[in-house]
Amino acid sequence: MSTSADKLVEDYLDRLEGELADFPSARRRELVQEISEHIAEARAGFETESEADVRNLLERMGDPADIAAEAREVPALIRADAPAGERRRSSALDVAALILLLVGGVVFPVIGWLIGVVLLWISDSWSTNEKLVGTFVIPGGLALPVYLSLAGAYTESCGGSPGQPLTCVGEPSGAMRSLGVVIVLALFVLPLVTTAFLARRRSRALALA
Amino acid sequence: MVAAQDALLAQMRRGTLQYCVLSLLADEERYGFDLVRGLAEMDGMVTSEGTIYPLLSRLRRDGLVESTWQESPSGPPRRYYRLTDSGRSALEAFRLEWRRFRDAVDNFVERKASK
Repeated sequence: MSTSADKLVEDYLDRLEGELADFPSARRRELVQEISEHIAEARAGFETESEADVRNLLERMGDPADIAAEAREVPALIRADAPAGERRRSSALDVAALILLLVGGVVFPVIGWLIGVVLLWISDSWSTNEKLVGTFVIPGGLALPVYLSLAGAYTESCGGSPGQPLTCVGEPSGAMRSLGVVIVLALFVLPLVTTAFLARRRSRALALA
Repeated sequence: MVAAQDALLAQMRRGTLQYCVLSLLADEERYGFDLVRGLAEMDGMVTSEGTIYPLLSRLRRDGLVESTWQESPSGPPRRYYRLTDSGRSALEAFRLEWRRFRDAVDNFVERKASK
C-alpha cells in the first residue's frame, strides 16, 4: 500500500466527516465507518494498487458533499410508514433532558440537573459540541441564578429593633449591587438561550435523521 | 435543455434506486459492498457509489430492510441487509405501479420512435 494512496483516502474521509459536521455524532460515525470499510474492501481487491486506482475508486464513491446531501434527503414517499414508536420514546427523553437541564436543579438541587445532563449525553439528537454547550452554559441551569437571587434578597434584608439604629448586614455598595444584578440577569438569560438553542438544533437533527 | 434532462434523469434515478436496492435483497441478504457492486454492474444506475450507504441507513430506519452483523472471512464484521415484510410489500406495490407507468410511457415514446 502506497502512503500517497493512504493520504488520499484519509483526506477523502476527513472531507466526508466535515460535510457531516451537523449530523448527530452516532450517525456521522456510522456513515464514515461504512464508507471507510467499503474503500478498504475495494482496495484489498486490487492486485497491485496504484495511486490512479485509488483516485478512480474515490471518484466512483462520489463527492463527500453528494453523500452528505443524500443523507439529508427525506423522501416523503416511504416516510409515512416509518416506525414511530422509537422516535416518540426518544422524543419524550429529549424533552425531559431539556426541562431537567433548565429547572431540574431548582426543584431537586444538583441531582435534577445531573439527570438532565445524563439524558442529554445519551441522546442521539445532539452533536458533541451541542452537548458541551448544554452542559456548561450554565451548569445547574436556572438553579444558580435562582439561589443567588434568594441569597441576595436575604443578605439585603436589614434588621432593626425599636430604639436601635437600623443595621444592614453585608449591604453592598450601589455599583456592586448593579453589577450583581447584571450578573444574575445574565445567569437567568443564558440557560434560557441554551435551552432554546438545543430545542432548535434538535428539530433540525430530527429533520436529518 | 440538456441540463434539465440531466436533472430529470437524476430525479428518476433517485426515485427508483431504493426499489432497485430492495429488489437486490428480494432473494438473498447482502452486505453493503456487495450491494453496491450489484448496482454498479447496471450502467447508469449509480453515479456516486457512496450515496448507497445513506440510502441503506434510511431504508433501515424506515423499517423496509433490517440488518444483522456477521463475521467476515477477512476484515471487520459486515452488516448484512435483508428485506422486512413491509419492505417486501413496498417492493410489490412499486412493481405494479412501475409496470403500469412504464407501459404508459412506452406507449407514447416507443410508438413515435418506431414510426
